[in-house]
Amino acid sequence: MKCFTGVNLKTFFLVSALGIAAASSGGARDVTLLNVSYDPTRELYLEFNAAFAKHWKEKTGDTVTVKQSHGGSSKQARSVIDGLRADVVTLALAYDIDAIAERSKALPPDWQQRLPGNSSPYVSTLGFLVRKGNPKDIKDWDDLVKPGISVVTPNPKTSGVARWNYLAAWGYALKANQNDQKKAQEYVAKLYKNVPVLDSGARGATTTFIERGIGDVLINWENELLLVTRKTNPGQFEIVMPTVSILAEPAVAVIDRNVNRKGTADVARAYLEYLYSETGQEIAAKHFYRPTLESVAAKHTDTFPRLELFTVAEMFGGWQQAHRDHFTEGGSFDRIYKP
Amino acid sequence: MSIELRNITKQFGAVAAVNNVSFSVKEGELMALLGPSGGGKTTVLRMIAGLEEPTSGDIFIQGQRVNDLSVQQRNIGFVFQNYALFKNMNVFKNIAFGLKIKKWKRRDIKARVAELVKLLGLEGLEKRYAHQLSGGQRQRVAIARALAPKPSVLLLDEPFGAVDAKIRQELREWLVTLHHELSVTTIFVTHDQEEAMEVSNRIVIFSKGDLEQLGTPREVYEQPANEFVARFVGVMNVLEAEVKDGVARVGELQFAAGDQPDGARLRIGFRPYAVQVSPDVNLYPYRAVLIRTYFLGIMLRLEFELGSGLVLRSRMTKEEYAQLGLEDGKAVSLQIRNYRVLAAEESALPPERQSAYQPPPSIAENI
Amino acid sequence: MGGNVSRMNRDATAKSQRGTEESPLVKGLLVGVCGLFLAVFLLLPLINVFAQALAKGWQLYWASLREPDSLAAIKLTLQIAAIVVPLNTLFGVCAAWAIAKFEFRGKSLLITLIDLPFAVSPVVAGLIYVIMFGLQGYLGPWLDRHDIQIIFAVPGIALATIFVTFPFVARELIPVMQATGREQEEAALTLGAGAWRTFWHVTLPSVKWGLLYGIILCNARAMGEFGAVSVVSGHVSGVTNTMPLHVEKLYNEYQGPAAFAVASLLALLALVTLGLKTLLEWKQQREYQNAQVSATEAAVGRQPE
Repeated sequence: MKCFTGVNLKTFFLVSALGIAAASSGGARDVTLLNVSYDPTRELYLEFNAAFAKHWKEKTGDTVTVKQSHGGSSKQARSVIDGLRADVVTLALAYDIDAIAERSKALPPDWQQRLPGNSSPYVSTLGFLVRKGNPKDIKDWDDLVKPGISVVTPNPKTSGVARWNYLAAWGYALKANQNDQKKAQEYVAKLYKNVPVLDSGARGATTTFIERGIGDVLINWENELLLVTRKTNPGQFEIVMPTVSILAEPAVAVIDRNVNRKGTADVARAYLEYLYSETGQEIAAKHFYRPTLESVAAKHTDTFPRLELFTVAEMFGGWQQAHRDHFTEGGSFDRIYKP
Repeated sequence: MSIELRNITKQFGAVAAVNNVSFSVKEGELMALLGPSGGGKTTVLRMIAGLEEPTSGDIFIQGQRVNDLSVQQRNIGFVFQNYALFKNMNVFKNIAFGLKIKKWKRRDIKARVAELVKLLGLEGLEKRYAHQLSGGQRQRVAIARALAPKPSVLLLDEPFGAVDAKIRQELREWLVTLHHELSVTTIFVTHDQEEAMEVSNRIVIFSKGDLEQLGTPREVYEQPANEFVARFVGVMNVLEAEVKDGVARVGELQFAAGDQPDGARLRIGFRPYAVQVSPDVNLYPYRAVLIRTYFLGIMLRLEFELGSGLVLRSRMTKEEYAQLGLEDGKAVSLQIRNYRVLAAEESALPPERQSAYQPPPSIAENI
Repeated sequence: MGGNVSRMNRDATAKSQRGTEESPLVKGLLVGVCGLFLAVFLLLPLINVFAQALAKGWQLYWASLREPDSLAAIKLTLQIAAIVVPLNTLFGVCAAWAIAKFEFRGKSLLITLIDLPFAVSPVVAGLIYVIMFGLQGYLGPWLDRHDIQIIFAVPGIALATIFVTFPFVARELIPVMQATGREQEEAALTLGAGAWRTFWHVTLPSVKWGLLYGIILCNARAMGEFGAVSVVSGHVSGVTNTMPLHVEKLYNEYQGPAAFAVASLLALLALVTLGLKTLLEWKQQREYQNAQVSATEAAVGRQPE
């Protein structure tokens, strides 16, 4: 039995090696890129890939096919570290790409400086979803802690977006109270008293609010809220953007080692740069990500109202610090939330 | 073809299944390997076939040492205890299997199978599968399959062990006839002494891996080499006697002790037919009472109790029984015509069992 | 003698049946509870898969199956099965043969190892290969230097699937082979057949139903495996997404009907598997009974040894 498996394994290697060779050998005419991305960007890149392929064909005559891989952002980063041959990564956090740079050395540590805007071609923020006609008259963060208001947000211990929600609320309270941590904690504690049930994930929270009709307000990503009001459930809900919110900066990077091996460095870089082009920015806006190119952003101010945005870095000293302060065992969330 | 085993020993781990056994089988002979289960006889058969390798010793088939020949090269036919018919093949294909391997021509295979089917009375069953056959039919298919490639030696492992008693008798006669017709050297294994006696030219008796005796049925019956053989082949009265004044005594029975010294203990054996009975209580030296009669077809088995309480077995035909006017409770006189001293100074049996040996009732009684 | 044992067993079952006959109410209740349980937890969800798949009509159903990524997922799944099933069949036959017919040192260890994948979580199975072949793993750097890709490519998915599915064939075959014994094979040897011929014409046919049964189960699991494959796949749409992964992807993209359309194919596979399994069990049962009958017949009139 051993001998047979051995032979076949060898064939596997050969087959796979050949497959890769075939994919890369057509470098002059046919190029395949792998974009390792995170979950909510599927539609965005589906459209962008087609646009880029067209652009690239016109510019160079080459045919470029972009393959996509989607999953949880940090899991995707892990896969790249373990050897998933991404030409480019487009992940939720710069932190995840830092992890790739640090652990696999597949790209330099200063990768973030290689593209404009700290390598974030589009950004997003958090907003509120309320029921049609805004019956509880919710306008800003202060309204969420009023008695009788029911807020839907998932559990920060288990959900990524819930941590963003938590920090956004905390950051708002800091700004409103001249950086008084104690007052901020009081505010967040009051807010979570208004949360009837903590779903374990973003999806569950959305279902709770939309399908089960529980709660007066749902906190979620702006792009997700726009998807609900404009695509999946038009006319049933309204978006309320607070005056202050948190800025999420999804980051993109070329994975140098992989593109060097495959000889796709040029097209990979062009691919990411094209995200900053007017076309790229329009596609981002169309999929409800905030464009960073001023000319495009100006055109979409009714979709993306201007508001004051702060980053995790400037308000909490980075994700690792924020995590230690708020979400570890005995962190602020444990202190304020007693189920 | 002749087969010879020289100093064959087979160890399974620390256990010797066969212990330094030598014997030879003559060309065309029908030889029985007889013994109780676990006696090593099947192991011997399998070593001849090449299915087991002897730990030491040599096997010759017609003068050629075959130890290093594989099963396939030995040209033997083997009939397994449970037939081992190929479940997925019908009767025809089972019989033809060995011929196909030998690359016979299709036409020749057909002819040979037809010949065997006829020889073994399997006509009309060619398309059947094993599970559609009776035990006897299966056995004949197994033999036909083994014979098809014209083996030089036919080996059968308990060939009648797995069929019911009635068919067994038929099969025995039939095997003798078959052997007569084909005169292929045949060795079969059996634990049934009657079967061995009836079918074979010669018998090899095994016990616990040792060869106890080799001889014709008559030899092993009449001149058993030892008590084991005596008891295994047929029924025997066995008594333990003590020598006093040159006479071996047990109860009122007396046997000539030859030159055994006083105090020696002898084991005396005699067959049931050696016990002679007379209704005249004064004719023979020993008085006894008929206590039980067993009817076994034309033969009867009788049990007599002597004055000392010893019980002896005898046997006779119905006619003799009627002539003597016997019935249970009848007083008679007995004499013992011939006997053998099986062993001296030995007391293998505990004292309380020293009355006549009583094997479980078996067909052995027919002898 | 086997016949006697089985007769005793039959007597025992007959007795126990008599025991339960006394309370038909309890029997009815038990059967009812089981039936309800199965209906609610198994049957309804299964029906629901098909209902959801066809919720937006046949056309959309058909279109979602013909979508390039779905086609690629179906193709990859078939490809993986085509690699894994023959290998595991080969392995299973070898292992079962060795275990059922020979005595050797380390036999019980081998049996335990065969069962290992049943005991290990599929996630662990996947991670084993990441640790082995990943860039941070033992062989990763070497493989990388030679430009050989195992994980996040077809070989890795095949390896993980092999790991998860390898007990199926062996586990099915071992008892069948043990029951068949060696006599038929020995008979073939005495008739001059070589090992290869004996295997093809005697050993294999006598275990064919058990073997097919094992292959079918192996295939079903190979096509349906999610956990281990998810770890090593890399989730590249149209390249390394198998059907189960593709179902998850579609579902997460809020493409319910498409997700259920692909899921319905997997469910269909399950139904076909069950159908074949029942058929094979019936065949095997029948053959077993035949064997029993012959063993009983054979045992009649045989002296106790």
